[in-house]
Amino acid sequence: MPQLDISTYTSQLFWLCVSFFTMLFIMSKFIIPKIGDILAQRQRKIDSYLNKAHTTKQQAEAALEKYHQALADATQKAEKTLQKTQAELDRLVTDKQNELREELHRQISKQEAEIAIGKAEALVKIREMSAELAADIVKKLALTNINAADIKNAIKKNEQ
Amino acid sequence: MSNPMEQFVIKPIIPIKVGDIDISFTNSALFMVLAVVVSTLLLGFCIRKRTIVPSVAQSIPETIYEFISSLIKENVGPEGLKYFPFIFTVFLFVAFGNLLGLLPYAFTFTSHLAAVGGLSVIALLFNIIIGIKKKKLGYLRTFMPRGIPAALAPLIIPIEMISFLSKPFSLTVRLVANMTVGHIMLKIIAGFVLALGIGGIIPIAFNGCIVVFEMFIALLQAFIYTVLSCIYLGDAIHSH
Repeated sequence: MPQLDISTYTSQLFWLCVSFFTMLFIMSKFIIPKIGDILAQRQRKIDSYLNKAHTTKQQAEAALEKYHQALADATQKAEKTLQKTQAELDRLVTDKQNELREELHRQISKQEAEIAIGKAEALVKIREMSAELAADIVKKLALTNINAADIKNAIKKNEQ
Repeated sequence: MSNPMEQFVIKPIIPIKVGDIDISFTNSALFMVLAVVVSTLLLGFCIRKRTIVPSVAQSIPETIYEFISSLIKENVGPEGLKYFPFIFTVFLFVAFGNLLGLLPYAFTFTSHLAAVGGLSVIALLFNIIIGIKKKKLGYLRTFMPRGIPAALAPLIIPIEMISFLSKPFSLTVRLVANMTVGHIMLKIIAGFVLALGIGGIIPIAFNGCIVVFEMFIALLQAFIYTVLSCIYLGDAIHSH
């Protein structure tokens, strides 16, 4: 078996050391730093992208927050305005109603007063007319002993 | 039929001798150097553009990088990332050694005890150095875990030492055996091709399947070798 031929061992070991340590030198000085550099660069790039994505997300969240805030403010404002307008409107309506009621009251009392006056006048006229009527009747019946003053007293008695 | 073990013979290409020691540049050395050159060029080519969004080519070194890095994080912890280049190199060296060995006429240096054993010993020494640096004399606790009665020391210390030294041994044997067996099988089946004449198409088809399977094994064994190195490194860093 050639593997057990001891005479070749020194040469194998010598060239093994030479080639292995040369390779170790080349790898650690040139190849490995280059690969490591590429990977580190890529990692940096990925990290920076991730960072960017993160900040963008935060910005978007802040904007959303702002938007919500603005929306809430606007809603509140609108509600306030609405309430104010409603109150004003209510006030206006009550005012108008009150005014209308007063006006109506006023007119009604005025009409009632006129009616009362008319009624009083009518009563006076009725009294006078009935007195005259009674006087005419008395005259026609020739009841001389009854004068106008007696008729007036009789009407007054009747009314009571 | 040619000898299936012939493919593992180490032949000197440029004989070099320093004193009495033979350090000839052999076919094994050639493929070690090739593993270094090919892996460097391939990775260098794949990451030449350095785009943020990776091309298909660029995603391969990135995947290996992240795979090794997660391996270390899981088995050693975040502090193990200091030793990332070492583990990364071990994985690539073994993976390319295995894969290049699958090319026709190629030599698989990971099928040799000396080469893989040497790598395991380098990994072991690396662990020991890190362990001593980290824990100073406390590193000796590895062989005498806390909470064990002193009376058991004569028994525990040899057992722990054996288990400690058997780690690189098991690493080596697992990888070498896998590579050797795979290549012997390919060679034996290839030997039937000419013998069967027109029927030789069957062993060719079979070999085709086995090559794909061996590619999978090559990566799997490199993965296992790396995982176990990581676990041993974790043991060296963390106390018992």
